[in-house]
Amino acid sequence: MNPLELTLGVMTAVGGFVDISELVFASKAGSTFGYALIWAFAFSTVGIIVFSEMAGRVAAIAKQPVFNLIRHRVGLKLGLVTLMASLLSTLITCAAEVGGMGLILHYLTGAPYLLMATLSTLAVGGSMWVLPFKWIERIYGLLGLLMLVFAASLIAIHPPWDRVAGGFVPQVPHGLSTKELLNFAYFGVAILSAVMFPYEAYFYSSGGIEEEWGPKDLLTNRVTSIVGMALGSLLAIAILANSAQLFGPANVGPELPGSTAMQAAIPLGGTGLLLALLGMLFAVAGAAVETCMANAYSIAQFFGWEWGRHKKPWDAPRFTLAWIILLLLSLALVLTGIDALTLVEYAVLFSILVLPLTYLPLMLLAGDRKYMGDYANGLLAKSLGWLYFGIVTAAAVAAIPLYVITSGGQG
Amino acid sequence: MKPTAPIKLVSELLDLPIRDRDGRECGIVDDIEFEGGPGKTTAIKALLVGPGAYERRMPGWLFACVRMVAGDRITRVPLQEIETIRSIVTLKCTATEVGLHRVENRVRRWIPRKGAL
Repeated sequence: MNPLELTLGVMTAVGGFVDISELVFASKAGSTFGYALIWAFAFSTVGIIVFSEMAGRVAAIAKQPVFNLIRHRVGLKLGLVTLMASLLSTLITCAAEVGGMGLILHYLTGAPYLLMATLSTLAVGGSMWVLPFKWIERIYGLLGLLMLVFAASLIAIHPPWDRVAGGFVPQVPHGLSTKELLNFAYFGVAILSAVMFPYEAYFYSSGGIEEEWGPKDLLTNRVTSIVGMALGSLLAIAILANSAQLFGPANVGPELPGSTAMQAAIPLGGTGLLLALLGMLFAVAGAAVETCMANAYSIAQFFGWEWGRHKKPWDAPRFTLAWIILLLLSLALVLTGIDALTLVEYAVLFSILVLPLTYLPLMLLAGDRKYMGDYANGLLAKSLGWLYFGIVTAAAVAAIPLYVITSGGQG
Repeated sequence: MKPTAPIKLVSELLDLPIRDRDGRECGIVDDIEFEGGPGKTTAIKALLVGPGAYERRMPGWLFACVRMVAGDRITRVPLQEIETIRSIVTLKCTATEVGLHRVENRVRRWIPRKGAL
């Protein structure tokens, strides 16, 4: 194991953890419920760690990416249903990221939002064409580390650390009305969905295959999944805690990413604001790349096309055409004028519906000794896998009723 | 598993990815063609690849949608061209030699060959 590669891998995972949905929901959750939903982030992070580790291990041992497995395990019909649902949810997520880039660039430059969304999409597409997989992943992930400014700002505002630590204990705040309780439940489901987005497993396992992982890379997989994602999650938690401390008492509802960036401006001034906006821009752009490529990976793997960004674009032509079309479709969704935050809501809602279908075949294969041999799921992975599968299934059932009843968390 | 070994469960072979001898992805096992008949030994004759092979595996209305989007071509990969069947089916030959990669090659012509590192 190369320590430099490992460190870079962990840093990339940290910087690439946060996307527009986490930005929005962490900030809103903090201002609405104080520190009471920190545990939802921590709990969901353990879930994404469990499934990412499985996805990476399956990629390293069985050499199979997630969508090959889904089709082989659940068959063509249910596989097609899963593919369609996943494409739709990830396309909406990608559009939300494109909208997020447009908004952040609008804050940075003052230029019109839709123009900025278009230019940033072209820039992201250009980088996907020019750069090979490892560089794409590293550049966006490492530049996303500028968001560490949120951790610095949290330290600077001296929050009540005992209450922040208390937020890690699963809880429901006392004295909430039924309406507020439902709103709390909606935020819990939304955070679970935003942290465990299905595209993350597709992208991570495909990345393992792009980088030709084998048994010797299992430690890298484990450390990157556990340490990288846990530290990345702490960034999201820092945003929530900042919001609880700065916005909650002032009754500020931080709907827009610009309000989130203000968390760094309040204690750290203009430099903090600039770093926060740039960090958010690269994190969201990285998520746009990941969602777009995850969709292209899914289609290519489902139908057995040549795929991968370790190959030149013309060596995987249908895959290349797929990601170009998907990126343009995401931009088209934004250009229709749908509000970026509405797209975030839909992305979170549709993703939770797809999660059980994504994670079940992955868990079955990761536990299959015929494919995985001695590397099959042990007792811990099996127990955690089934626990989280049960929870995401329950959340998927509850998601739409909660969305309707709470008007998308508006109470 | 060797390609000539008895296959107890067709489901083990269906929907496996196929790679040619150069390691290039070249499709999925969409259906299987058998030879033999009543009173005779049944054996796999070929793997069928392509959207046309979905016909027996999905409702008519869904296949009609697939046909509209992707066509109904089927490529036969004879059993003799299969090297191994594991979690991936590996061919002894290149994709082009058995008629796979036709669409891939057609789309390749539209993709500019410059600019990528």
